[in-house]
Amino acid sequence: MSWDIIGMGAVANLGDSPGAVFEALCASRESRAPLRAFDRTRYRGGYAYEIDDRPADGADEPLRATRWLTTAVRQALADAGLDAGTDGGLGRIPVLVGTTLREQRSAELWWREGTALDPAALHFGPALGAAFGAEDAHTFANACSASLGALALGTDLLALGMADTVVVAGSDSMTESAFGTLDRVQNEIPRALRPFDTTHKGMLMGEGAVAVVLRRSADTAVDTGAGSTGAPRVHARLRSVGVNCDARHATAPDAEGIDWVVREAHRRAGLGPADVDLVMCHGSGTPRNDETEAAVLGRIFPGSGGPLMTAIKSLTGHTLGGSGLLSLVMGVLAARRGTVPPVHGLTEPIPEAAGLRLVRGAAVAAAPRIVQVNAFGLGGINAVAMVEAA
Amino acid sequence: MTAPGPLPLRALPASAAPVVVTGTGTAVTGLTGPADLLRRPPYGPGGFDPVTGLKGRELRNLDRASRLALRAAAPALTEAQLLDADGGFTGEADTAAVVVSSTLGTLDTVAALSDTIAREGVTGLTPLGLPGTSSNVCAGYLAIRHGLRGPSLTVCNGQSSGLDALFWARVLLAAGRARTVLVVGVEPSGPAVTRLLGRETTDAAAAVVLERAEDAAARGAHPRALLAACGRASSAAQAAAEAAGGLAAPLEGPVDLWLTGEQQAGEEELTAGAPRLDVEQALGPLSGALGVVQCAAAVAHLDATRAETVLASAGGGPETAAALLLTRYVPPNSERTEQS
Repeated sequence: MSWDIIGMGAVANLGDSPGAVFEALCASRESRAPLRAFDRTRYRGGYAYEIDDRPADGADEPLRATRWLTTAVRQALADAGLDAGTDGGLGRIPVLVGTTLREQRSAELWWREGTALDPAALHFGPALGAAFGAEDAHTFANACSASLGALALGTDLLALGMADTVVVAGSDSMTESAFGTLDRVQNEIPRALRPFDTTHKGMLMGEGAVAVVLRRSADTAVDTGAGSTGAPRVHARLRSVGVNCDARHATAPDAEGIDWVVREAHRRAGLGPADVDLVMCHGSGTPRNDETEAAVLGRIFPGSGGPLMTAIKSLTGHTLGGSGLLSLVMGVLAARRGTVPPVHGLTEPIPEAAGLRLVRGAAVAAAPRIVQVNAFGLGGINAVAMVEAA
Repeated sequence: MTAPGPLPLRALPASAAPVVVTGTGTAVTGLTGPADLLRRPPYGPGGFDPVTGLKGRELRNLDRASRLALRAAAPALTEAQLLDADGGFTGEADTAAVVVSSTLGTLDTVAALSDTIAREGVTGLTPLGLPGTSSNVCAGYLAIRHGLRGPSLTVCNGQSSGLDALFWARVLLAAGRARTVLVVGVEPSGPAVTRLLGRETTDAAAAVVLERAEDAAARGAHPRALLAACGRASSAAQAAAEAAGGLAAPLEGPVDLWLTGEQQAGEEELTAGAPRLDVEQALGPLSGALGVVQCAAAVAHLDATRAETVLASAGGGPETAAALLLTRYVPPNSERTEQS
């Protein structure tokens, strides 16, 4: 079984559409900047990959994650040819949103600065109802694998015949409490996020939202030529999503759990390691993640002929709940455009990654057919998706 | 909207295996267990006291929501006969899922951390607080404590969250991603929650264990109730009607008990004349814990009476509403015995 990805949308610091983000990745355009969101004197580190859309006075405002989510979903619906502005909108089409922090930044502003907070605005359902007439929106707070976890549930609804079309999304804005705690726990304070490089010192936060529209493949007339027959363009086919939980440690990744979920995703898709052409790594830039992820990938793809690999967080920052789905959308564009962006800033790989075909320096021409997408989150929750070029 | 095809119902496909509750547990201030959800205060002696009940070596450094969740989960898993003496899970760990529902569970953590940052900067924070900044913290600790390695979900949908969590648990079972699901609804009390809701709340967590009826039968566990149908719509009445529409056999007359929260629509066909119990009347607002508390109360009611059907509904207003129908579980072979 497979599912067609018929619409995509994204907003990140690098750009305000999937294409703009992809082109910035391929051009290695750095948009990391000194921290603007919060009072910099409170923190040891001072860099983030923020979306710079706050009011002119620089003060923070509530509901930014909700705003980006709405933008990304609107893009994805328009891309899929679904006009949510008519006929009562999305109605019963499920909208599944993965997030790490929900609208907790709005809660901080309420608590510290007295801005208004509607308890129902902590999750995204009411806003999606207002914007798109969505009656069946769900918010899943599943840490940094949240959007791929939501994607797994979307495929389940389609497979069970409970929906014909689903919208899956992710969104997060930085919170002081999470940024601050991360700043506190990292031994060294990174100035940049450098996945798999010996200079990696840890994770830096990004911001953004991403959305896709999925439909069962049998329901979509195959037409990859931009909808000349009126059928939606199929960007790619989603073959499987595997999910699990390490049940081992609250913050550290676990090789055994990650190994299991990669093989689960392969098994569900009926694919083996030899079929994989490109891996979109989680690559969060923390030494623990990079060492664990690289070691597992080295075991699953032994030898020198393994898939190409890349990671996007050195340019997007860690966009948290949406990061897995953003990696997936970038993987889809890599397949469609025949270009794989590099791991920006990777010059000397850590020993665990020495045998991996991580793209370095500049984008490479390649035509991946099968793309694996990794996302791992706090609490040991892992998700891996397998995508096939359309 | 140009989406083709009929609008889907919440009904699972007819081929989906029946799902039953095999364990329930609570950690709610004053209550001795799920049966007290059907009673009015004052409750009997020995009720849960968060001052003493949230201590213990295994709870050290955990946020309040996680501690409550762990205290509700253990009795539910024990009742389902799925724990060994050390708290380890005796079922199939790779297909044991955790689904948590919580809406305000991290609010006081976030408020306290932002206060500390404003006052002292990040050097005033403890590194042990990192897990608590992520809204899925409870689900992570539940999985670690009991070794549950299947899918992990934290549903944050406001009032309907708890019933939505039970819906997603059924999806995980129907899709074959899980063979056992621990569902926990949890809302800790605290100053930020009090300020947001305008009144003090009760520390509350409820847990239920779900599995396929055939799996429960195979291991000799007692199926306490059948999760018969779910509904979700813009009002509780519509959600309840949708749930009833998803039943294998139509209901004859109103349900035997209607469990609500404070925020409810008026009566309609399913509930006309049915005894109604607002579980928030005695406990105050339960937010994301509501639906799981209702499920535990429904199972207690089916245990204690001859009732056949219990309806739970939650949400509405600015949020979506959800409904769940629980019925007395009748094993398939017992029906055959009656017919022969």
